[in-house]
Amino acid sequence: MKSPIWENIIFRKKSENSDTLEFLAKVPIFADLEDRELVEVERIVHRRKYKKGEPIFRMGDPGLGMYIIVEGTVEIVEELDNEEKKHLAELGNGAFFGDLALLDESPRSASAIAHTDCDIIGFFRPDLLDLLYRKPQQGIKILWALARVIGERLRRTNEQLTQLQREIKAPKHG
Amino acid sequence: MDKSVNSPSGQINKTIWRIFFILLGMAFFWLVYPYIKVVFFMLIISWLLAMILNPVVDYFESIRINRGLAIVIVMVIILGSVIGIVALVVPAIMSAIESLTTKLDSDLIKNLTIQLEKFFQDNFNNAALARDVISKLEQVGGEMIVNIGRVLKNVSSYVAFIGIVPFVTFFLIKDKRLFKRMLISQIPNRYFELFLNVLHKVGDQVTKYIQGQAIDALIVGLLSVLGLFIVNLRFDGPVPFFFFIGMLAGVANLIPYLGPIVGAVPAIALTVLNNPSDVGVIIVWIAVVFVLVQVIDNNIISPMVVSKSVNMHPITVVIAVVIGGNIGGVIGMLFAVPVWGIIKVTLKEVGWGLKSYKLK
Repeated sequence: MKSPIWENIIFRKKSENSDTLEFLAKVPIFADLEDRELVEVERIVHRRKYKKGEPIFRMGDPGLGMYIIVEGTVEIVEELDNEEKKHLAELGNGAFFGDLALLDESPRSASAIAHTDCDIIGFFRPDLLDLLYRKPQQGIKILWALARVIGERLRRTNEQLTQLQREIKAPKHG
Repeated sequence: MDKSVNSPSGQINKTIWRIFFILLGMAFFWLVYPYIKVVFFMLIISWLLAMILNPVVDYFESIRINRGLAIVIVMVIILGSVIGIVALVVPAIMSAIESLTTKLDSDLIKNLTIQLEKFFQDNFNNAALARDVISKLEQVGGEMIVNIGRVLKNVSSYVAFIGIVPFVTFFLIKDKRLFKRMLISQIPNRYFELFLNVLHKVGDQVTKYIQGQAIDALIVGLLSVLGLFIVNLRFDGPVPFFFFIGMLAGVANLIPYLGPIVGAVPAIALTVLNNPSDVGVIIVWIAVVFVLVQVIDNNIISPMVVSKSVNMHPITVVIAVVIGGNIGGVIGMLFAVPVWGIIKVTLKEVGWGLKSYKLK
């Protein structure tokens, strides 16, 4: 019979949450990680269930980290001063949002509300910083992948901005 | 019927049940506290040790040593040091107590009494007052010595302490993230980010504060040991057990302003009992040592190592120490200031969280 104490000390215990692991492997921010590194990430993420209509975070809340949708649909809305909500996007299975909050505590620019019952994984900045200190090589891989994702978003935003500027200028020359 | 989470009656019911269970939990804790006091203190000490040792373990993990193995290495070093110090210090203290008891029974006290009576008769015309004071001091001092001896002879309490505290500390360090995740999983979604954020901020500040206090106590202790060692060298050993007295001053430094007094008083008392020829000069030197240590601590060490976020007004310190003494005696007094610092930081961050997060 294995001794539970010595097993815990010497051998790394394989995580029982293999479906969380499989899911994390598909997230672009963790794309560069090896299997044992994914196990380490699985140990620090938080998996939670939200009911339909429940807010995941509100616009103006201090940013804490990103969320990954395992199952369900999340609506991203902008809450206006007159209590109206402006729909910005609807995200489904496998999508992730709030990744900029991994970098700093700036207030959330929009609210995320569960459009249906949701199963969501949260990955937060303090845990990333702790991982960076304990396992710097693994932390750098995550940061590098995060930089790629944010860079890609910035590139697309630039393209959209350029397109809009062209459309605005076009009637003047027409 | 509206079954969404925002149903007002549902929310009120949930809140009422939560408050009820919290109050029930508090009442239960109040009832069982006298029976679990010792275990409670062991858990607190284990938690404080875990907070102090965790950065060392994290460092070993960052250089690719398995976390479990890193904890074993750190704990073996710390435990070995503690056992070594206890093995050296306890017999030395027992020997000192026997020596003190002999001196108290000797003619030294009689001679001191005669001198004090003469002083009171010449200046206040009341020799009886001197006899009353000496008698009271003898009684109190004798009881203290007997109590200290009784505590030190109670080996079984040390075995339990030395056995349980490292065991609990090991698992608090190893499974720190698991415990945190288990705790957070119980928090409702509405308060999840608020709780997580506040927990991180409080944990970060409290850890830095406790580590800073531990480093400060160690440096003050070592400086006190060095100062008393120099006095011993200069005056041919008037202060026995200077290592123990110096480290005691370091631990007592957890109570602001009290550290030098706790260090100076036994050092001076032991010097007087040894009755060297230039006792007055030695006492002055001992006082200078502890004043210097306090000046260095206040102006150089503390500002560098102790977090400023838990600076406390002297009145707050006194109130905290008195309350701590009422709850837990001497141990309570020692831990009162760090505990109050933790409470202060927690309240500040919870206030920040409640202001920053929209909880509707």
